[in-house]
Parts: sequence; C-alpha cells; structure tokens
Amino acid sequence: MKYILYQLKKNPLAIIGIAIIVFWVLAAFIGPSVLTYTHTEMDSLNQMVSPGVSGHVLGTDALGRDILSRIIVGSRSILTVALLTSMVSTLLGIVLGFSAAYFGGKIDQTFLRMMDIMMAIPPLVLSMVVLGILGGSSIMSLTLIVSIAFIPATARVSRGSLLTCKNNEYVDAARIRGESHIYIMFVEILPNTIGPIIVEATARFAYSIMMVASLGFLGVGLQPPTPDWGMMVIENKQIITDAPWAVLYPAAAIASLVIAISLFSDFVSKVLIHEQ
Amino acid sequence: MNFTFMIIKRLGSLVVTLVVMSVVIFLLVEIMPGDVAEMILGQSATPESLEALREERGLNDPVFTRYLRWAGGLLQGDLGESIYMRGVPINTLLWRRVGHSMLLALTAFIIFVPLSIFLGIVAGVKAKKTADSIISFLGLATMALPEFVSGVFLISIFAVQLRIFPIISVIPIGESVFSNLDILILPALSITFVMFGYVSRMQRSSMIQVMNSDYIRAAMLKGMPRRYVILRHALKNAMLPTITIIGMNMGWLFGGLIVVETLFAYPGMGSLLMTAIRTRDVPLIEACVLLITVVFAVSTLITDVMYGFLNPRIRFQGDVQ
Repeated sequence: MKYILYQLKKNPLAIIGIAIIVFWVLAAFIGPSVLTYTHTEMDSLNQMVSPGVSGHVLGTDALGRDILSRIIVGSRSILTVALLTSMVSTLLGIVLGFSAAYFGGKIDQTFLRMMDIMMAIPPLVLSMVVLGILGGSSIMSLTLIVSIAFIPATARVSRGSLLTCKNNEYVDAARIRGESHIYIMFVEILPNTIGPIIVEATARFAYSIMMVASLGFLGVGLQPPTPDWGMMVIENKQIITDAPWAVLYPAAAIASLVIAISLFSDFVSKVLIHEQ
Repeated sequence: MNFTFMIIKRLGSLVVTLVVMSVVIFLLVEIMPGDVAEMILGQSATPESLEALREERGLNDPVFTRYLRWAGGLLQGDLGESIYMRGVPINTLLWRRVGHSMLLALTAFIIFVPLSIFLGIVAGVKAKKTADSIISFLGLATMALPEFVSGVFLISIFAVQLRIFPIISVIPIGESVFSNLDILILPALSITFVMFGYVSRMQRSSMIQVMNSDYIRAAMLKGMPRRYVILRHALKNAMLPTITIIGMNMGWLFGGLIVVETLFAYPGMGSLLMTAIRTRDVPLIEACVLLITVVFAVSTLITDVMYGFLNPRIRFQGDVQ
C-alpha cells in the first residue's frame, strides 16, 4: 500500500486519471438527483440554446433536451456496460486460456485454432454485425457480445501467463498432493500470475468504453430513451455548425473517460510489473 | 521447413478460416428475425405470392442446400443480389465502395505509419526526456480514443472554424473520388489518432531495447556518428516488432473505417455494411463481412511475409515455433 502511494506521488498523470474516473463514478451515482432537467424532457422554448441559457448548463440539442442531463445519465450505462464487459471478458479469458495452457496438447491446439478463426473478424465488426442482426440491444446482450469479441485478446494473456509458471515446483507439489485441476489452476496458479491479467483487465476497461461508445455511435448500442454518449454524437452531428456543444460535450465526455482509464491502466502496469 | 513452405501453410490455414467464417456468417444471418420473402414483397403480400417467391428463390430448401448454393455462387464470383435495393447485383454495388475504402485506408496508412514510427524513434532515443514524455502521453491518450471522437474534434476545428476541409466527405454525383481528394484528409486523420498510439508505443519500446544492446554500444564506442548508428544499425532491428503490431492492428483499422465512414458519410464499404445492417439486407451483410474477413486475413499474411523477409532468422529457417 505504501509502495502504491509512493508510486502515485511520482506519477501526477495517474492522479489526474484517477480523479477523472472518480468524478464520473460520482456523477453516475449522485448526478441524476441534483439535475434540474431530466434527460428526456423536451424544452420546446429552448431548442439548440447555447450553454448557460435558462439553466441548461451545457446547452440543449435540436429537440430541446438538456445536454448535461443526457451526459450524466448516459455515464451510468456506459460505465456499467464497460465495467461488466471488462470483467466478463477477463473471466472468460481466464477460464479458457488457463484450461488451454494447463491441459496443453490437443486441447491447446484446438483452442489456438478457434482463437485464430475468431480473430479473423475485427472485434468491432463482429459485435456490430451480431448486435445489428439481433436488434434491440440491452445491457445484457451488449455486455455478452462485446465480451465474446474480446475473448481472443484476454484468453491469450491468461494462457501466456499460465504457461510461464506451469512448471514451477509448487504446481508439481500440489499435483502430488492430489489436488484437483481446478484447485491447482485457480488457487495455486492464479494468485501468482494475477499481475499481467489485472493489467490486461484495466486496459480492457478502456477498450470496452471505446467499443461501447462506437457501437452506440453506429446505432446498434443501447436503444433510446436511454441516452448514449456515442449516439448523442451522431444524432447531433447534423447541427454541429449551429450547436457545436451538442456534439462536442458528449465527445469530450468519452475522451476524458477513455484517457483517464488509459492513464490509470498505464499506472497499474508500471506498479505491477515493477513489483515482479 | 523453409520460408516458402511457411507461406503455403499460412495460405492453407487462410482457406480453412474462410470456410469456417462463411459457415458462421451464413448461420448467423439464418437466425436473424424476419422473413426474406416478406422483406422483398412488403407487408401487404398475400401468403400465396410469398410462398411462390420462396419456392422460386429456393428459400424452402434445407439450410445445407442453401449454404452450398450460396458458397458455390461465391466461388464463381457471384455475391448474390441485394434485397433492399430490389435485386441489384451486389457485385455492381460493392466494388466501387471497396475501392473508396481502400483509398481511405491507404491515405490513413501514408499518414500514420511514417508519423508514428518517426515519433516512436524520437521517444525511444530520448527516453525519459521531455520529448519522450510528450510523445508517450499523446500515444497513451489517443490509443483508446474512438475514431468518431477525434473525428468530431477535427471537424469542429478544420471544417467548422477554419473551413479548410468539408464537414462531410460525400462524392458529388458524376464525379470520382480522385477529383475530390480533400474529402479524405479528415477521415484519414481520425484513424491516425488511434493507430498512432499503438504503433509509436511499440516503436518506442523496441527502440529502447535495441539501443541498450551490445552491438549498438559497440558501434557507438567505435566512434560512429550517433545519427548513423540509429538509422543504419538500430532501426533495422527495432522496426520488426512495429511491423507486427501494424499488422495486428489492421483489425482495429477496419473497425475504424466503419466508424469514420459513418461519421463523414463517406461512401465506402463500412458505410455500406452499416446500411445493409440497418435495412436487414441479408446477402449484402454476408458479402461485406466475408470480404472484410478476406482483406483482413490477406493483410495479416502480407505482414507476416514482410516480417519474414526482414528477419533473416525466419527467412532461412522458416516459421520458428
């Protein structure tokens, strides 16, 4: 703990990153209760008004909806989906990657072939097509499909990190003791290889935000009335000359969150890799 | 195992991947809600005419027969007909769009590859100095930034404020993209941001690694000019991982193309796929996704071959596994 604080002191960018993340988490939790406008309310007298006019802190869009409220409410869904996605894809990655590396041989070969095939389609294209075909995304379907698209990346990291300590004595010791495979994988090996996996998971969080925002932008993310940052950008792009705030603030929200998480994940990787 | 053998082996696995992909894509579209015959004839069609059309198009045949017919058509270069655009052959729709996307990807490539390699080298050579901190921060910041976010910032600066480039990248009817090259710049720059993060970081770390190696120290101690050592000795080895990372990120580039083409309304393959999904145009979705798979796989293969050529250990011994 002391070591982490010491590292944090040396890394002002990480402090900024963490501060921004905390800001968005707080905004998602308590933001909606202090807003003057709701995110669906259409203020027909104040369409496309600039920031500050009649209580619309960040202005309104073409329908007179309050940009600030929509951003704050939108932060809930993007944070939820991205957090779930990074956790689910990491867990699936651990289970698949560990089993492949632990059992080796035919199982590992099959696993690698399957990953090759999955990687034949870019993750964004894969999720976009599947979500588009199924239609009407929910938090569940979005999380599940983006997680599956991320499996090749996460599983490879887990596989690689298990391979590095598969031949250690403590693994043999556990095997001789007669422990089950599952016990050896998750109780003996996992705690020793958790470093790179955590690093990957935090980086995955940033990519999840990128992916969820892009899917929203492409119109296959969460469906209205749930406000979605990506969707706000494409909806309001037509009015970028008249009401730039309606496009730029949601875009800035995405940018700030993504950059903050990247800074944080860079810090995590420095701390964990230095520790080893 | 030699180099040629490695290429043949890779081509073989490419064919397997494509066959599996085509099955997956076909099955995926199979489970899509909605009936093709109803989509063609509209809501008001009578059950009899629907049934007749299904019979005529062979929609009542078992899945396996239909897959074979579709795959057979693909092998002969027939991608089928678009449903939404009332029976227009996909071949006439698709290839112009593919050309546009290729041109956009190429423009982005020309911008981001030299830029990120150059800045990566600068950061690697000047590790832990101010220049490195700035470049590394930029790389970190842009690495996971969605293309449409950097895109709208670019639009608001260069199109809305300065009015240098157009806000949308449409090609006027009757003109070709070559007489409107300025529409490519902002979309290409939006893609550059994401790729810059990956490539420059990779170049930086491999540069640092090479610069610390013995043979570089020897060259320096021999009194050779620093610039010469960096350009002639270090760069050759430090480029190898970068080439791999560029190849691996081609996937992101394709995803990026869809996003950027949608943002700028650029008539490429990505926006065509978007339209196909929105209008539930089954044959068009299948054709686009399969084509993206092929292009992606071929570009990965090219990267591997290039890597092999640049790395003598692989050129002479084949795939080291």
